[in-house]
This record gives sequence, structure tokens and C-alpha cells, in this order.
Amino acid sequence: MSSGIRIEKLHHRYTSKGREVVAVDEVSLDIAQNEFFTLLGPSGCGKTTTLRCIAGLETPTSGTIELGGVAVVSDRVTVPTHKRDIGMVFQDYAIWPHMSVFENVAFPLRAGRARLKRTEIEARVEEALGLVNMSQFIDRRATQLSGGQQQRLSLARALVRQPKVLLLDEPLSNLDAKLREQMRAELRQIQQRVGITTVFVTHDQVEALSLSTRIAVMNGGRVVQEGDPKEIYLTPNDEFVANFVGATSFIPGTAVTADPAGIVVETPLGAFQCAPNTEIAPGAEVVLALRPESLRVSDAADASENSIAATVALSLFVGEGVDYRLAAGDFELRARGAARAQFPAGAKVVVNVAAADCVVLPAGRLGAAGGAR
Amino acid sequence: MTRVVDNAVRYRSAPGPSPAAKPIRRRRRLRIGAPGIALLVLLVYLVIGPIAMLLLSGFENTTLGVVIRPPFPWTLENFVKMLTTQQTYSVLLATAVFAFASLLISFVISFALAWLVERTDIPLPGFIYVLTVAPTGMPGMISAIAWGLLANPVNGVLNLMLRPLFHAGASTGPLNVYSMPGMIAVQSIALVPLSFLLITASLRSMNPSLEDAARASGAGPLRVLARVSIPLLTPVLVGAIVYQFVTVIEGVDIPLILGLPGHVTVFSTEVYTITHPAFGLPDYGLSSAYGILLLVIALAPLILYNRVLARAQDYATVTGKAFRPRRARLGAWRWVAFAAVMVYVAITFVLPLIVLLYGSLEPYIGAFSLSSLERLTLSGWTNAFHSHLFWSSLSNTLVIGLVSSVLVMALSLGLSWIIVRTKSRIAWLADILAFLPHAMPGIVIGLAVLLIYLLIPGPIYGSIWIVVIAMTTQYLSLGTRLTTGGIAQIQVGLEEAGRTSGANAARVWLRVLLPLLRPVLLNGFLLVFLTAIKNLTLPLMLQSSTNTVMATEIWNSWNDGKVTQTAVLSVILTAVTVVASILLRRFGDAGDDRL
Repeated sequence: MSSGIRIEKLHHRYTSKGREVVAVDEVSLDIAQNEFFTLLGPSGCGKTTTLRCIAGLETPTSGTIELGGVAVVSDRVTVPTHKRDIGMVFQDYAIWPHMSVFENVAFPLRAGRARLKRTEIEARVEEALGLVNMSQFIDRRATQLSGGQQQRLSLARALVRQPKVLLLDEPLSNLDAKLREQMRAELRQIQQRVGITTVFVTHDQVEALSLSTRIAVMNGGRVVQEGDPKEIYLTPNDEFVANFVGATSFIPGTAVTADPAGIVVETPLGAFQCAPNTEIAPGAEVVLALRPESLRVSDAADASENSIAATVALSLFVGEGVDYRLAAGDFELRARGAARAQFPAGAKVVVNVAAADCVVLPAGRLGAAGGAR
Repeated sequence: MTRVVDNAVRYRSAPGPSPAAKPIRRRRRLRIGAPGIALLVLLVYLVIGPIAMLLLSGFENTTLGVVIRPPFPWTLENFVKMLTTQQTYSVLLATAVFAFASLLISFVISFALAWLVERTDIPLPGFIYVLTVAPTGMPGMISAIAWGLLANPVNGVLNLMLRPLFHAGASTGPLNVYSMPGMIAVQSIALVPLSFLLITASLRSMNPSLEDAARASGAGPLRVLARVSIPLLTPVLVGAIVYQFVTVIEGVDIPLILGLPGHVTVFSTEVYTITHPAFGLPDYGLSSAYGILLLVIALAPLILYNRVLARAQDYATVTGKAFRPRRARLGAWRWVAFAAVMVYVAITFVLPLIVLLYGSLEPYIGAFSLSSLERLTLSGWTNAFHSHLFWSSLSNTLVIGLVSSVLVMALSLGLSWIIVRTKSRIAWLADILAFLPHAMPGIVIGLAVLLIYLLIPGPIYGSIWIVVIAMTTQYLSLGTRLTTGGIAQIQVGLEEAGRTSGANAARVWLRVLLPLLRPVLLNGFLLVFLTAIKNLTLPLMLQSSTNTVMATEIWNSWNDGKVTQTAVLSVILTAVTVVASILLRRFGDAGDDRL
């Protein structure tokens, strides 16, 4: 029966220094059992507040939350945090420095109302530590662990009670780049092995895209787009999402024709053949969104539907490729080229884009995401 | 202010590594230089000098005074006398009971108040905070006097009012503040504000996600408190208790005012009465032996405390706070708790203030009543303002406070710079110099400084400068705790950048260090000033006819039974300290923000 998590019309506002702040604005989510669901957005978008409402660490102003079919927040009840069937990993891990590794993991087992036998506690702590490859550290003091080990410990502590729901609050953001990549892969494996409904909060699009079964992109307290990673990346439904998920170049224009086969957009750089978008009518003011990796930098036009003349403004060799900033008319385009054929700054080039890679969005809040990332 | 006091118990508060330890970089070292050496020599005189003096006179036969050139009249007689007198053991027991009971009571009250203010939804937490901290402006001596007026067994105001109800017919009681329980109660109340500040500061700096994590692990509010919050606070609590322990055993104020009338003697009053006997000559040898014993008693817990502190670095839980900690819901108990706190504040703070004001306007003390209103007179106030002694004691108080605090901060600054920035072979000496005064109870410093200037001829003995010297020694630890923290926060690179820009050492100090440390210095100056003008112990030990300060003047008139004059002077001194502590809070807070 049980859906994983149901959130309906969650609303949270508070007053800070006499100003009313709406942190979460009418958010509704339906998260299926065993799903890896990500709340993605810039800082202050309400993603962490939403997560803390699920955990019971914040009490929302209004709305309902159900965990596994049980209402934990509604008009009538507010179940306190310690009575919710959850496990949570914090951004700073929140490892208790006065306890050993074993004691940290055993705490959730001892805190609950059900009294467990000592042997059972030991067995379950060992199992949880084994899951995160930390068995050999069981007798260490928690303060003797590195950042990555604290992160694993924190995950073991969250899982040891075998809760219905796992809540992850930017757990990877304090790790260095290499470790983050490794932990990302492990986190996904562990989640699949355990099979647990997971809500993951992050501002990192790569984490979100690679880990999630579904993503809700949040901005200003609202969910602006919800979908699987491919949908979010390939068919963002507004400029904010396009810009936040991936470094995107935008060109404003007007839709000339719009039909199921595609859209033709007239821009200051000429006419573009674009992918279809049912929301766009002919004559509408639109914005073209172009991903850097879908722009092919070349010295001549190829078979692509669109080709633009441009000048290389900046050419940075980054190992696996070349990052270009290109000047095309009054616009700056970002492109990613092959490492072997690097065009130097000042070179005249042609940028080729397939129609399928030209995403047309309704014109709106250009730059709302605070520039390309 | 919270930071000030936080630092005030944190000896050498160099920032510890966070749990996710970063790679340790070796600290860059600077040279100590000739001015540094000169500073160390001066500090050795100020800090080691008194201890050496104490040891010397403790192991000498001092019937002919202390001898500082051969042949030394070495003897163990003083210690034999001390250890074979029954009196010593009863004093030891009384001191232990007095100290432990008041520490226990004050910390239970402080923790309860801090938890209510920081972790529950009690109404008006900011208001409670201010009211709890406000009594820091009232010197312990004055609150002892106020309680003497309120609850002395014969004509205490409360007794006169309660006696018809509970004790009809008796001529004393029902309350008696001139007793061990009375001393403990007043001392406990006096310890609460600072303990409360320390605990709230550490509750605020505690990473709230540690508590959140416990809650998300299924622990209820009480379990979170018992298994996570309190264990994490342990280093701070132990540090604060040890700090307050020295405060309790070093001062003469409460034991002198409340203990002596009830024949309760503790260490500090024992040393005072031996050096200032009513009849006969003072026995400096015996009092030095007592001083040495007291020094050992103060030192032992401090060493324990520094051990705890070494471990406490593991506990570094201060992080950028993302979320306000969650507050427990008290439900209907909110208002019960609020009312209880208000009653506490009324009894411990408002009542003493009222009785002092009332006493200052009455020719003699009696129960509050309508008829007493008819006796109201300003004569106590006009007498004070026409008294030469009043004006000279007020100016002595201010001069001693100002000069001591400037000296303390200047010396502390230099000493901390040596501790933080140089790691030369004599840096251990700097560490010891910064640490020792903290372990030297005021009464011991007073005794030792008295002995030194009895020996050294010249104008120091009996002047206000002998008090300034003693206070400089006593508050050196307080000062260095602030300046060490301040300098540790300034990257050494900022000084090096000054040097590489062509500035000499003096110019780097003037243009880089001092401007950056200004808030810390101002803060420390005010804190030392405030503490110094409240100090009764040192001026009393070093008293002469020409160096009377407000504190000693209040004690003298109290001792002479001049109640109205005592009350007038107490109100005036309290006003001065309240103004100083308001300034401290204002500038102290501003200073903290800047760093």
C-alpha cells in the first residue's frame, strides 16, 4: 500500500528581522517507495527546509506530510522527530565527538523504545558498519576519523535502525572532489542494496543527475520542474532550470513557425531550426537554450541544421577537452570541443548545432539563476 | 560579552583543530627581541616574586620580620604550627563545604536557567537573559551587605517582617544569614550570572546538528539532553566550575561580612585575621604557610582543568550555524517556569537593590512599613558628599581601576604575543607567567605583595600603587586569556606582510596589530576595570590610612555599624559598576562583531 513519502501543499514561512520569509511555498511531492529522489536548487531555494520538515526538525506553517502512509504532519497531528521512522545524514555529518564509532552507530538502537539485547545491538552495528566499509574502525574514537570516514559513519548511523526513509542533507558537499566522486558511486550502490526511500538534497547538478531516479528542481521555495534526470537535463521547462542544470548559453528570439516537427526561431544570429515544444505558439517571444557539449566547434559548416559564425574569445585546455568562450554577434556562447583540435583565441570558427539540441523556452526570467554555472 | 566570558575561562584559547582535521602546518616563528626579554623580566618580578616571597617567609622564623639576606632563620615551625592546630582542619572543612555547596547550587541554577533560555519556548527569553546577567554589576561584597541587612538574625528586614508570622515572641530569626547556609546561599547567587553566561555561550556555539542528529535517531528531548547536550558541554562546565572554585576560595568579601559575625572562618578570612589581628603583632610566617597551602589547593584543580581542556579540543563543535536549534515545548509549564524565574530574579536581585536604597534613605534599619516612610532622610547622602574621605576613596578607586587595567592589558598584549608568535626556548616561561596568576588566590597575592613592600623601603607601601601592583599581578591571566585569543585570530601573514612592505617592528605594531586588536583591548580593559573596582580582598589586605578605596570604605563603615553610610556607599559603587558593565556589554559586543 505504502507510497514512500507524500507531501501536499507544504508551506513554511517565518519572520526574520521583521521581514516575512517564505522558505517553502506550496510544495507537493509524491515520492515512491525505494525511490532516490533529489531536491536540487541553489542555496536558499527551500530544499533543505523541505527536508527538515520531513524530518520534523522544522514544523511547517501548513500542509501535510505522510511517511509510508502515516501522516506525520497534518492539521491535526505533528509527530515529533524522534517518533518518525527516519534516518538522516547531515551536511557536517554531526558525528558525536564524545562517543566512539560503535557508540555513535548504536545510539539510534538504544534511543528507541524497543529494548534490544546487547548481542543484537552489536550485530546490527557491525552490519551497518560493514555496509559502509567501516568495520575496522569500530573501536576508534569518532574524532580520529577523516572527513570521508565520518561521512560513512554518519550513513551507517542513519541506516542502522532500518528506517523507512533516508534523508540526506548535502552529504557530499564537504568532501574533496576525488572522494566526492567515489562516495557518490557508493551511496547509490548502498541505497539500491538496502532498498530504501531516499530524499537527497543538493545544489550540485552532477550529483543530482547521476544519483537520482527523480529530481525536483526548486527555486524561491517552489518546485519549478520535476522529472527524471534525462528530462531535467535535456528538456528543461524554463530558463532557470536550463541554466541551473548545466552551463547553458541563451539567445533570445521570436518563434516564426511552431509545429510538432520543430520550431523555427528568428534570432539576431539568424534563423534556427529547433526541437519541438508544444507550449510555444508562432509569434511568441522565446529563448534558445544551447548546451556547451551540443555545440560543435569547427572550421566549416557540417551537416547540422544550424551553423553560426563566431570568434574564439577564450580557449582553455582542461584535459578531457577544450572549454571555449565564443563571441557570436553580441552574444557569448559556451562550447566544449575535442582536446586534439584546439582553436586558439582569435580564431574564426563555425559553430554547428543539431536542431534536436536547440531547446526553445518561453521568454521569461533570463538570468534568474544568476548567470551560467 | 558572551565571547569575553567564554574566553575568560579558556586559558590560552588558541583555536583548536576542528574534528575534520586539516593538515597541520608548522607555525611560523618570529623573534622575541630585547623588548620581549625586558617584558619577561618585569613579569617574573610581578608573578614569581610574590610566590618566592611567600615561600621565603613561610619557611622562616618571622618574629623579627622577613629576612632576605644570610643568615636565613630557616624553620619548619610555621608548617608544624599550621598542621597541628585544630583550627586549620576546621577551616579546611568549612572552606570545602562552602566552596562545593555554593558551586553545586549555583551550577544547577545556572544550567536550568541557561537551558530554559536557550532550549525551550519560555516566554521572553531575552528579558530573562538580561535580568540574570544584570547582577554581574553588583559586587559580591555589596550583595553580602544587602543580605546582612535583609536577613541578619536580630533586626534583618525580612526577619522583622517574618518573625510575627513564624517565630512570634522570639528575639532572633527565623532567618540567619550569618551562618554557613547563609554564606552558601549568597555565594551561590553571586556565582550564577557568570556561570550562566558561560553555559549559554557554549549552548549557543554548539553545533545544532549534533542535537538534530540525536533527535533524528529516535531520541526524545530528555535523552538528547542527557546523552548529547550535557556530555558535549562537559569541558566547558568543568572549566567554569574550576574557574569559579578559585573565585570562591580567594575572596574575603562574603566570608568576612557574613561568616565572621557567625564565627564561620574559611581560608581567606583566616589569612586576613592572622595578618590583621585585633590585638598583638601579625604572624607573617604562619599566614604565609596558610597562603602556600591555599595556593596548592587552587592549583590542583587548575591542572586538572587544563587536562580537560587538552581533551576538549576534540570537542570543538563550533561551526557556522545554519539553523537555530530546536526548542523544547513546555506547554502549560511555560508560564510556571517563567513565574519561577521571575521569583528567583526578584529575590536575588531586586530585593537586595531595594534594601540598599531603603537603607541609604533611613537613619536606621527596620522593617518595611508605612511608618518607616516618615523617617526617610537624605542625610546619609549629603553626609557622604560632604565627606573628604568619600571623594578620596572614590578617586582612589577610579585611579586604581584605570591604571591597573591599562597596565594589565599592555603587559598581557606583550606576553600573549610572545606565547602565540614566538617559540623560543624561553616561551615556556611566558606560558607559566600567563597561567600562574590564575592559580594565585587574591588573598595570597595580597599577602605576598604586602610582605614584599614591607621589606622594600620607599613610597610604595601604604600607597595606592601597592594595590595597583597587586591587581596587575592578579588580573594578568584574565588579560592574557583575551589577548592570546585575539592575537591567535590574526594570521601571522598580516604581520609579515607589514614587514615585507618595509615597516619596522614598532610600525607593524602600531599600524597592523594594535588597530586589529583594538576591540579585544577595549573589551579587556573594561573587564579588568570592572573586576578591579569590585575587588575588596586586595585593598583590604594592603589597606593604610591613605589608600582607602570605595570597597574598603564600605567595609570599614559596615564594620563600624554605620548602616546608612554603608548603604549610601554601596549604592554609589553599584552605580559605578553597573555603568561599567553596560559599557562592557556595549563595546564588548561591538568588538566581538568586528573580529
